[in-house]
Amino acid sequence: MIFDIAARSLASSKVLIPVEQLLGDCTGSRMPEVDPERLSFDAAIRAVEACPTSALQLEGRDGARQLVLNYGECTGCGNCVEASRGALRAAKRLVHCGVSKSALIRRWDIDSRNERFSDDPVAAGAASEIRALLGRALNIRQVDAGSCNGCEAEIGALTNPYYDLERFGIHFVASPKHADMLLVTGPVTHNMAEALKRTYEATPSPRLVVAVGACGCTGGIFAGSYAISGAVDQVIPVDGYIPGCPPTPAMLVTGILRLLGGRALKGL
Amino acid sequence: MNPIGSRSRSATGVTEALALLNTGDSRLVSIFGSIEDDGTRRVHSIIDVENREYRLLSERVAGAIPSATRITPAASWYERELHDLYGVEIEGHPNLQPLVFHEDWPAEIHPHASAPGMRDAPQGQYRFLKVQGEGVCEVPVGPVHAGIIEPGHFRFSVVGDTVLHLELRHFYTHKGTEALFEGAPVMSGVMLAESVSGDNCFAHAVAYCQAVENAFGISVPPRGRALRLIGLELERMLAHIADVGALCGDVAFVVPASYTARLKELLLQSSARFFGTRCWRGLALPGGMKHDLTQENARALGAIVAEVARDFAELARMILETPSVQNRFESTGTLKRDLARALGLVGPAARASGLKLDVRHDHPYGRYRTLALDIPHYNSGDVLARARIRIDETAIAARLIAQAVEDLPAGAIATSVPWQGSAEGFSAVESPRGELLYWIRVRDGYLRRCHIKSPSFQNWPALPMAMPGNIIADFPLINKSFNLSYSGCDR
Repeated sequence: MIFDIAARSLASSKVLIPVEQLLGDCTGSRMPEVDPERLSFDAAIRAVEACPTSALQLEGRDGARQLVLNYGECTGCGNCVEASRGALRAAKRLVHCGVSKSALIRRWDIDSRNERFSDDPVAAGAASEIRALLGRALNIRQVDAGSCNGCEAEIGALTNPYYDLERFGIHFVASPKHADMLLVTGPVTHNMAEALKRTYEATPSPRLVVAVGACGCTGGIFAGSYAISGAVDQVIPVDGYIPGCPPTPAMLVTGILRLLGGRALKGL
Repeated sequence: MNPIGSRSRSATGVTEALALLNTGDSRLVSIFGSIEDDGTRRVHSIIDVENREYRLLSERVAGAIPSATRITPAASWYERELHDLYGVEIEGHPNLQPLVFHEDWPAEIHPHASAPGMRDAPQGQYRFLKVQGEGVCEVPVGPVHAGIIEPGHFRFSVVGDTVLHLELRHFYTHKGTEALFEGAPVMSGVMLAESVSGDNCFAHAVAYCQAVENAFGISVPPRGRALRLIGLELERMLAHIADVGALCGDVAFVVPASYTARLKELLLQSSARFFGTRCWRGLALPGGMKHDLTQENARALGAIVAEVARDFAELARMILETPSVQNRFESTGTLKRDLARALGLVGPAARASGLKLDVRHDHPYGRYRTLALDIPHYNSGDVLARARIRIDETAIAARLIAQAVEDLPAGAIATSVPWQGSAEGFSAVESPRGELLYWIRVRDGYLRRCHIKSPSFQNWPALPMAMPGNIIADFPLINKSFNLSYSGCDR
C-alpha cells in the first residue's frame, strides 16, 4: 500500500510554482489597489466611506488631496472595490510587504492621478536578493499570539508541493531556541503577551521578527478590544511586516524573502 | 433557516431550562448572558429538544442561579464563562475556576465594568488537579506549541508513558470578539464573524447572516442558497481532507500527508480563480451572497471538485488499508457514546461516537431543507472512526457540490435587508467542526449583543476524556482527530 501511494505521488504532475511567479503575486488575497486612470475625488470619498476599517483615508498633504491606503489595516473585504465603481480594483500584484511599517502605505494624488511613492521594492533587487538568500539556511518558528487561525492555514500551505519553502533552505522548527526568525500572527492578546515575550527571549540573536496579517501588523479588526495588548510591535521589536487577511502563501514568501534579502545584503 | 421553536422570557427561564435538561431527550446547546437596557443581566439557555427543535429560554437574574452542570457536564464551561464575563454567581458548580481570564490579565480591565453590580475580573492562581501516587509526573505543554498551530495549555499527569489525567487551560486567544460586535452596524458583523475561526470562516459568515435573516424574517433567493451550499461544502471538504492528511502526518506517513496538502491547495486556488478569494471571505452578506458564479465557471468548479474527490477517495482507501495506520488509529483515543452524549458533543467527533447529530439534517436551513441527507456515523469513538467520518463526509460534500453546480437556480443571489430595524434571532449551521450557532440582538440597525456557540467550545472538554490509558506520544494524533479550533473556542 505504501508503495502504491508513493508510486501515485511520483506519477502526479509537478506543481511547484517558480519563484519569479511567486514574488509579488497576491491573487486571491482580495487586496485592493487604485486604478489611477479612473481615480476621482468622488470615487475616493465613496471608497473611504465604504471601508469598515481605517485602511483607506483621505489626506491633504503638500497642498494636494491624497487617497491613502494602509495595507497593514486592510482585511480585503472588497467594499471599496464595489463602492468606487472601478477606481479601486482587486490587485494581482502587491510588493508592499514591508521592512518598515511605512512601506505598507501607498498614496495617490487624487487630482494628478499619480502615485506619490511608486518605488517597487521587490522588482529592484529580486535576483540579487534570492542569490544572497540561497547562501544560508533559515529556521523559522511560527508563533500564534492570538490569531483566528486564518494565517496559520496559509502559513501551513507554505510547505505544500506548490510553494515548497524548503527549496530556499528555509525550515519551520519546533523550538524558538533553534530559530532565526519568529513569524508572529494575531493581535497579541493579554493572555498571550507574556508567552510571546518569553518566546522572543528564548530565540538566540541575531533574530528576525515578522508580524503577519492585518492583526499582526496593526491589530486589525481586533484593535481596541478589551482583550488585546496590541499589534505585535507593541509587545516585541519587529523587523518586517506582511499584510493580508490572511496573506496568501505567495505574499508570505515575498515578505520573508524580501526581509532576508535586505538583511543578507547588509551582512547579517 | 432552522425555525425557532418556542421562546420563553418568563421569570423562571433558568429553572425551566434545568427541568427540560432533566428530561431524557434534550441536549444543551448553549448558555450565555446579556445586559439589558436598564443594566440588569439576562441569562439565556438554548436547548435542542429531541434533535428537532431549538428552544430558547431566558430570564432576568439579580442573584445567583442554580448550576446545570450536575445535570449535564456539557454546561460546565458555559457557566464558568458566564461567571467570568457577566459576574453571574453559579450555585452548586463543582469547579467554578476562571476560564477566560488568566493570571497575567491586567487588573484594571473588566469587559462589562459598565454594568452595575459587576464584579472585578477574577484573578488569582489557577489550580490544576493534582494527581498523586508513586511515579506520577506532570508534563506541562504549551501555550506555544511545536507546530504551526494555535496556542493552548495541556497539563498531563502520567505514569511512564501512560496518561492518567489531562487538564486543559485555554483562552489564550480570547480576543473579546463578542464584545466587538456590540455597537457594530449589522452589515459589519459579517467581517467579525469571518475572523472568529479563520479556517471555518464561511460557516461563521453564513451562521451570522442566517441569524440576521431569521431576526428580520428575510428569505434568501434560491440561487443565493445554492451558492452558500457550495461554499459550506467546499469548506467542509478542505477541512476534512486537511485533517485526514494531518492524521497521516502524525503517524509519520508523510506521503499521503503531502498529497492531501496538494489536493487542498487545488481547491483553494480554484476558489481564488472563481471567487477572487482563497478562503471564501467577504462573499456572504445578510440576505444572500455578494458574488455570483457563471454557468461556465460553475461547471469548471464542479469538474475540479469531482477530480479532487476521486483522488481523495482512492488515497483514503489506500490509507485505511495500510496496516501501520490501522495499528495506530484503531482503539486510540476512544470516547464512548454515553460520555459523548453527557458532554453535549457535536460534529464529526459526535458522529464517530455513535451520536447521529447534524444540524443540516436535524434543523435544516437554506438549500439543505430540500435535500435528503445521508448522515454517516460510527460507534467505536476512536481515531479511526473520526478519520472515517471525515472520509465519508468528503465524498458526500463533493456530491452535494456536484448537484448544486449542475442545477444552479436562476435569479438573484441576494435580497435586501432593512437596516434600521430592531430584532432578535438566532441560527445554526453544521460547520466542518459541528453545530455553530449565532444569537443576535439588533437595535436600530446596530448590534447590541452577539453570542457565538462554537463547536470547539463544546467539544474541547471531551478531549481529556479520550486520553486516560493512552500513551502521551499518541496525544498529537488524538488531538488532531478532534481537530478543534482554539480561536473558535476562546473567541
